[in-house]
Amino acid sequence: MSKTADLLPGTLDMLILKAVSLEPLHGYGVLLRIRQISGDALDIPQGSLYPALYRLEHQGLIAAEWGQSENNRRAKYYTLTAAGRKRLREETAGWNRLVTAIAAALNTAPEEM
Amino acid sequence: MLARFRSLLCALFWRQDFEAGMSDELRFHIERYAEDLVRSGMAQDEARRRARMEFGTLNSIQADCREARGLNFFDEFGRELRFAFRLLRKTPVFTVTALLTIAVCLGANLTIFAVIDSILLRALPFPDADRLMTVFNTYPKAGVERDGSSVTNYYERRGHIPALSSLSIYRFGTAIVGDAGSTEREQITQVSPEFFETLGMTPAFGRVFKEAETTFQADAVAIITDDYWRARFNGDPHVIGRQIRVDSVPKTVVGVLPTGFRFLSSKSQLYLPLSSRLEQRGPRERHSGGNVIQMIARLKPGATLAQAQSQIDAQNKSLEVDDPQAKMMAAAGFRSLVVPLHADQVAAIRPILLLLEAGVLTLLLIGMVNLANLLLIRANGRAKELAVRQALGAGKRYVLSETLVEITLVTVLGGILGLAIAAGGTRLLLALGADRLPLGGAIVFDTRLAFIGVGASFFMGLALAIPVAWFHLRRSVSAALQGGTRGATSGRAAQNLRQGFVIAQVALTFVLLAGAGLLGLSLRQVISVSPGFQADHVLTGQISMIGNRYPNPAAGLGFVERLVNSMSRQPGVRAAGVVDNLPFSGHSGKSAATVVGHTLRPGESPRGHYSYSVGGDYFHAMGFSLLAGRFLTAADSRSVQRVCVVDEDFARYYWPNTSPLGHRLFQGSEVGPDSEAYTVVGVVSSAKQAGLTEEAAQGAVYYPYIYRSTPNIFVAIRASVRPESLTLTLERVVRQIDPDLAVNGVQSMDNRIADSLIARRSPALLAGLFSAIALLLTAIGTYGVLSYAVAQRRREIAIRMALGARPNQIRAAFLNVALRLFVSGAAIGGVGAWLTGRAMQSILFHVPTFSISVVGGTAVIMGLISLLACSLPAHNAARLPPINALADQ
Repeated sequence: MSKTADLLPGTLDMLILKAVSLEPLHGYGVLLRIRQISGDALDIPQGSLYPALYRLEHQGLIAAEWGQSENNRRAKYYTLTAAGRKRLREETAGWNRLVTAIAAALNTAPEEM
Repeated sequence: MLARFRSLLCALFWRQDFEAGMSDELRFHIERYAEDLVRSGMAQDEARRRARMEFGTLNSIQADCREARGLNFFDEFGRELRFAFRLLRKTPVFTVTALLTIAVCLGANLTIFAVIDSILLRALPFPDADRLMTVFNTYPKAGVERDGSSVTNYYERRGHIPALSSLSIYRFGTAIVGDAGSTEREQITQVSPEFFETLGMTPAFGRVFKEAETTFQADAVAIITDDYWRARFNGDPHVIGRQIRVDSVPKTVVGVLPTGFRFLSSKSQLYLPLSSRLEQRGPRERHSGGNVIQMIARLKPGATLAQAQSQIDAQNKSLEVDDPQAKMMAAAGFRSLVVPLHADQVAAIRPILLLLEAGVLTLLLIGMVNLANLLLIRANGRAKELAVRQALGAGKRYVLSETLVEITLVTVLGGILGLAIAAGGTRLLLALGADRLPLGGAIVFDTRLAFIGVGASFFMGLALAIPVAWFHLRRSVSAALQGGTRGATSGRAAQNLRQGFVIAQVALTFVLLAGAGLLGLSLRQVISVSPGFQADHVLTGQISMIGNRYPNPAAGLGFVERLVNSMSRQPGVRAAGVVDNLPFSGHSGKSAATVVGHTLRPGESPRGHYSYSVGGDYFHAMGFSLLAGRFLTAADSRSVQRVCVVDEDFARYYWPNTSPLGHRLFQGSEVGPDSEAYTVVGVVSSAKQAGLTEEAAQGAVYYPYIYRSTPNIFVAIRASVRPESLTLTLERVVRQIDPDLAVNGVQSMDNRIADSLIARRSPALLAGLFSAIALLLTAIGTYGVLSYAVAQRRREIAIRMALGARPNQIRAAFLNVALRLFVSGAAIGGVGAWLTGRAMQSILFHVPTFSISVVGGTAVIMGLISLLACSLPAHNAARLPPINALADQ
């Protein structure tokens, strides 16, 4: 457990968008995919996943459709909408700017001042 | 935004699908997780338990999901709505009273508003209707307020008034339409070629009239309405060029008007050219309007009414130079007025409609006050329950939203009932004759008004919730809890508010009732006016002598004589006569008469008089009184000796001190050759021509038919039986003389007079109805507040009675409260009644501003109602067995 990092507020939506941008996923799949693409570093609290999915669907960023799961059970699959794709691009760019800036700030040595 | 709205709507409308899908989805997740745990070596049961635990509390996750969809608000609202329904069902008497109060008050308001909207508010159905004007000649000093426009006016003005982009004239009339044997009388309108252009309309197909079609040789063309086209030509697309027989002359259809075209209140289906002879367009005919031809005009964009008026004034001034009648017309105060067409159409009815609107708004206010009071009383009953809930943690927001939901639920439900009442009310008004008001044909209760009604009921709910919310939130929870347990007298402020409402209600009802009383009194005064003849047992009808059989006055006289002779021989007929201008027929044109030997005194204007041409035994048929000399007889039309009869007003004006008999006068405004002078041979009673309220002593001259002949006559028959029973006889006699002619508008004279009162009777009836409802509401209000006071003070009463108070004293105490409320309300109402009387003065007839009998009567009625409403609760208080009341708690 020590390997996993706590999620920063506001990053869950971004991660969900990223996960479903790769392929249509059901809720549990989203959870597994985020864990997988973060190299098991990020673990999402299961209870907060679904309200986030419902909120994103409500905002029209992802779309839901009922389909068959791997073991032939009925499951709700989420896909990224055009609006969601745009939002993911914006958030990724924003996040990268933030990370670069914070990294730059943190790497500043005393002589560089 | 749109996506959110759609997703919310989906979740709301497919709520069960939404819930089921959510459970499925969450269950799937837990099962999959459990399977993964089993795969990693965990025991089945343990895996399931672990999966469920790590997932978290299912209920709260579901609630979070719902909130993410924006469903929470609706869930809460639904809960409150169900709660409000339950509460309302528990108090059926209150609920029904409240619903009916709202329904009746709002329904009445919507009904009157439907009328106001159609007649006063909605623009005329033409493009840029606010630029449409009417222009008419007025000769106020001659007693002629309105004389329409002449053909000459039209030809002189069109194209010469820069502020007007288009100007035209029209004349309403009737014509016999159809082939011989299947003719029908239709309303027609004769119009100048620019008429439709002035209105901003073009025919749906075909064309408008041409300039060349305004002469009698070339005017055999017609434009028909869409309705007429569908009804008579079965919507034939090739109707242009087909013919219609109008007054037995074939007319070629040249145009069909767009669907729904209607000119003001006219029911005309046929439009014909308004043709004239050249001499009718000359300066001599400039003042010959006679209120028959009317002028409409359209202001140029950017031009104002004032500009048009000053340009017309300037033109009139310049035309005076070569006008032989100029001096006389100037003395008569001649002007041509430009007035907005819509305002002019509704000028007469406007004050009455506004008065009714004020009355019905007062009724709404009374209903609201009543309801506010009932709600406050009801709120008191629930004060303790709400206090307990507040003590248990319900916030102010909760109390507020619950109050709001409950009250708006009542008002909106009541409002929906009110829509039904308004729809029925509108139909009732139309049945009462509202469609005969100017522009009254457009009165409808449509969806727009329904929306306004529901919206209004919602806002009424908000307004009513204010005092109730104030009541609940005003005092601290602990005080409310204690107040309940102690059973003390109700809060002083709340009691003052309730009593203030009762006083307001009494005062408003007083004003409404007094206003209705004034209208009723005014109506009675009007009805008591004598029309100047004996209107009972008279049958009247209109005949137009059309076709080739009546080329000259002599032929017309022949018909008149045969008609009168034949009619007077019929059983049940006492006398028969004809006239060109029947009283109460809506025709009230005036014209000049020149009395030989009368010179205008300084400051005196030439006067317009009613002029009649009469045939047969008209005076006996109508029941005129003979004051001097003799009546005209049928023989006078056959005599070369010209004679006439004048009325009392005419005689008094020209011969105040001598007998008019033997004096001579001329028709028109000039002295003619001696052979055309009429000798006065009789004086008859003065008749009301335009209506019973006509006050001006206009004066009247009656000429023998042959000397003022017209193809349009009214027949008047004095009957010894019920006049309507002679209708078929009259129709048969006319057909026997000329099968092509028809009698129209056959009705008794009494009926015509009653019809002329419609603008007075209907408002009085409606105001009476509103007052009756207001009285009932006031009775309910007074009763409610007093019963409540008695219930509140049970313990106090019981203690007083246990200490020896007599029932009469208890009763007196409550009657005293009621009396105080009534006297305060009535005092304010009395002042209001006086103000109302002043405001209504212009539409009242011979009724003083402050009528003692009306105000006194109002006070008595309201006093009785108040007494009745409070006697029951007071009586109950006095009969309260003390032991029960004390044992109550």
